[in-house]
Amino acid sequence: MTAVKLLQFVVLLASAPLARGIIARLKAILQRRSGASVLRPYYDLWKLFHKEEIVPASASWLFRAGPRLAFALTVTAAAVVPVLCGSGLLSFSGDFILLIYLLAFARFLMMLGALDPGSSFGGMGASREAMVSALAEGPLLLSLIAVAILAKSGNLAGVVAWTTGQNFFDISAVHVLALTALIFVVLAEAGRMPVDNPTTHLELTMIHEAMVLEYSGPSLAFIEWAHALKLNLLIALIIALFAPWGIAAQTGMIALLLAAVIYVVKLFLALLAVAVLESVVAKLRMYVVPEFLGIASALAILAIVFTVILKR
Amino acid sequence: MLIVFAALFLLLLAAPVMAGILRILRPAAAWGDAVSAVITVMALASGLAATIGMWLSGIPLTLDATRFSPFVFQLSIDRLGGFFLFLVCAVSIPAVVYSLPYTGNHYGNAQRTCYWVLLPLFLLSMVLVVTGASVFAFFLGWELMTLLSTALIVLEGDSGERRRSIFIYLLMMHAGAALVISAFLLFSPYVPGLDFASIRAAGALLPGSLKAAIFLLAFIGFGTKAGIIPLHLWLPKAHPIAPTPVSALMSAVMLKTAVYAFLRFVFDFLGGGPEWGGYLVLGAGAISCVLGILYAMFETDLKRLLAYSSVENIGIIYLGIGASLICVKAGEPAVGGLALLAAVIHCLNHAIFKSLLFLGSGAVHHRTHTFNMNEMGGLHRRMPVTALLFLIGCVSIAGLPLFSGFVGEWLAFQGFLGGAQLAAATPQVVLPLMAGVLALTGGLGAACFVNVYGSIFLGRPRTPAPEAAYTDEVPRSMLASLAVLGSACVLIGLVPVVVIRPLWPLIQALVPGADYGIVSPISGGISKAAVVVVMVAASTVLVRSALRRSAIWACGLSGLTSRMEYTASAFSKPIRTVFAAVYKPERKLEVLPTEQPYFPNAISYRSRRTTSYEQMLYRPLFDSLMNVAQQFRRLQTGNIQLYLLYIFLALLSMLLLMRFR
Repeated sequence: MTAVKLLQFVVLLASAPLARGIIARLKAILQRRSGASVLRPYYDLWKLFHKEEIVPASASWLFRAGPRLAFALTVTAAAVVPVLCGSGLLSFSGDFILLIYLLAFARFLMMLGALDPGSSFGGMGASREAMVSALAEGPLLLSLIAVAILAKSGNLAGVVAWTTGQNFFDISAVHVLALTALIFVVLAEAGRMPVDNPTTHLELTMIHEAMVLEYSGPSLAFIEWAHALKLNLLIALIIALFAPWGIAAQTGMIALLLAAVIYVVKLFLALLAVAVLESVVAKLRMYVVPEFLGIASALAILAIVFTVILKR
Repeated sequence: MLIVFAALFLLLLAAPVMAGILRILRPAAAWGDAVSAVITVMALASGLAATIGMWLSGIPLTLDATRFSPFVFQLSIDRLGGFFLFLVCAVSIPAVVYSLPYTGNHYGNAQRTCYWVLLPLFLLSMVLVVTGASVFAFFLGWELMTLLSTALIVLEGDSGERRRSIFIYLLMMHAGAALVISAFLLFSPYVPGLDFASIRAAGALLPGSLKAAIFLLAFIGFGTKAGIIPLHLWLPKAHPIAPTPVSALMSAVMLKTAVYAFLRFVFDFLGGGPEWGGYLVLGAGAISCVLGILYAMFETDLKRLLAYSSVENIGIIYLGIGASLICVKAGEPAVGGLALLAAVIHCLNHAIFKSLLFLGSGAVHHRTHTFNMNEMGGLHRRMPVTALLFLIGCVSIAGLPLFSGFVGEWLAFQGFLGGAQLAAATPQVVLPLMAGVLALTGGLGAACFVNVYGSIFLGRPRTPAPEAAYTDEVPRSMLASLAVLGSACVLIGLVPVVVIRPLWPLIQALVPGADYGIVSPISGGISKAAVVVVMVAASTVLVRSALRRSAIWACGLSGLTSRMEYTASAFSKPIRTVFAAVYKPERKLEVLPTEQPYFPNAISYRSRRTTSYEQMLYRPLFDSLMNVAQQFRRLQTGNIQLYLLYIFLALLSMLLLMRFR
């Protein structure tokens, strides 16, 4: 079983750039461009890892340590998520709370890294990221807690086991509300449209890109990989919590292969949804983002309220 | 053990005497302060030893000094008092060590002696509060704590603005103390001697309405000292103007004595309080933590910011206490124990990282002579060790995993999640929603302390500073105090079992039926994750590449000055805009010269918070009080005949009352 858990962790880690490549390719197709290869992000990482690193003269040790630590924290968060079998590599009571806070710590370090050289762009990006993340944390946690309350379990493995036992058509209002809130928050957390445009380099709009503007070489590679991994693990988390059916119950080779195939299909659908969304919606104005996250918070609060109504 | 316990008091009394005597005998000697400091540290160490001895044996230590006093005067260490005594002693040692270079730099001879006389006495007062086992002993400590901290604040100066702050501090403390006295007096018909053991025994027999009244008085009375919103008015005024080590002690330790007293009343004396009590505490906690951190966000003065963040952390502690009360009332002591553990651990952690940050802010002031974050920047080059230790404090207070602040918040989240399984509908909704409140607080806290660390230590200097090719660290003894506190943050953060396990007997004592079974799997999780993080982080070192230092990107232009950098105010701008309803800011933008707005020579921007509890709450209250007083003035005409009439009427009414009773 440990081998399976290790395998799913490695797959999650290694497939993160691919997921990003697929989104980019799907977007290209939707926009009638031919687009780059889906393997493009791997080539980029390879290139960045072999490049010289340029560090601003005014930066401290934190500038280079930040991305590496943030990468380590994101990888650890990925170790918590169940993908192929019903439990993550790390599984204990309250693991999903730790997951959220590991990501928060990674973001904390990225913001410090952005402030470190003392450039205007870094400050701008960090300041905006601080606003988005501060408002996203509440709905993210509440929607996960709502699902955990239904499952009467304090860890992801328990929630997955409970949901797998449910019938798909017994889906409750709590699930609908929590899932909607979670999708809103994941888009904000992973820096996708309509909150942040991952392809922009315009000062007026960029958030994440402004934070990483000073980075180059291996540091940038770690940042890009961690950023891709974050999207990948959040999608995996949504799949595990809301549509875990098909996850391998036993350790047999066939069950595992089947689980992998089903997971890939679900992942592809999720990536397609992201690509379609990014092609059809425009980026929100900076100060509309709080309203966007406010809606997510309201939905998450409703989800909690509905957990009690459903029990009556 | 009793001798060690007595040594704590005797040494704390000896330290100020020695400081005084040495000043008289050797007026020029610089080591007089050190003698007082050493005796104080010895006293605190014996306090630690007595606590640990009591903790291991589990038998309360009691000193009875009634025969030296006109009232019942007992001192004792039980589980609850012992934990807070440990907190007082452990956190005060670094502050005392730090005080040596601080007083050496800031004060003249006379002031220094005053400081070293007052500081041990201030510590003694806090020790009295947490060990006092009779009302008289407790109250002696409680009042001395207020007065001695005021004296230490006055030591730093007494200009007009400071006097006003001190006045508000004293006024609110005494209003709070009046309520606390009333709470004790309500016990007095049942407990003549007013020692804690009899109060505890009588607590269960009190009628319900009286219990509710006592609970409310204790909540407001101790809440004033703890600084919950809206009773926090004094806190951001008094804490920043104290000498830095005393600010650290006030925020880290003095606030906790109020938490101690509240726990003593609610859990020990009243056995849980009324049905609505938990919700009251929970509500106060929620308001304090969200508004506290939002107000902190608005500040650019480092010490005021830290003071507001103390309000936030007290809010988090109250969230835990409130959840615990609700769960215990609902018959779920297992979850109640978990929530109380969260509160107690956060008490300890806040004491550690808040004193680290306050002492760190003092170290920054030591070199920059300012607390204004907008004037700092790039200090990591001048003071690398301070920067690292301050960073540990910032990460801890932001509640991020692998550091101490996260432990308490994590336990609180689990408590809230457990609350969803209670039988009644109200806690099922309220407790999980509090997890959202705590998450929002955590997110804002992280944003706030990124800003703090970023604007003080990172970036480039925002005001002309000595060119920093050399390091310019603070004295070793300052760094040593910071290092001790910093390593405690890391240790508790990585291996939370080291505090959870020893604290468990305390939880069992307060919440009978608490279950370690639901706590033990929680405590191991963080350590497992920490191992993975460290392993992955270590492996990233394998990636090596050539390194080149270069200027920062300025869109191809040259001459990017530090004035173009984001300041602390600029960083917090988006969040301030989102929460404008909380601040109702008054902004003033001036562009000079006014006739050419697109080619200005100078721009000045000021933003001020207009929501103030003084204006909105205290001023109307005070005014209506004054109005009532004005009405009563009519009785005072100065006419002697009228006064004789009053006396006659009073006598008559008394006689009638006695006749028809």
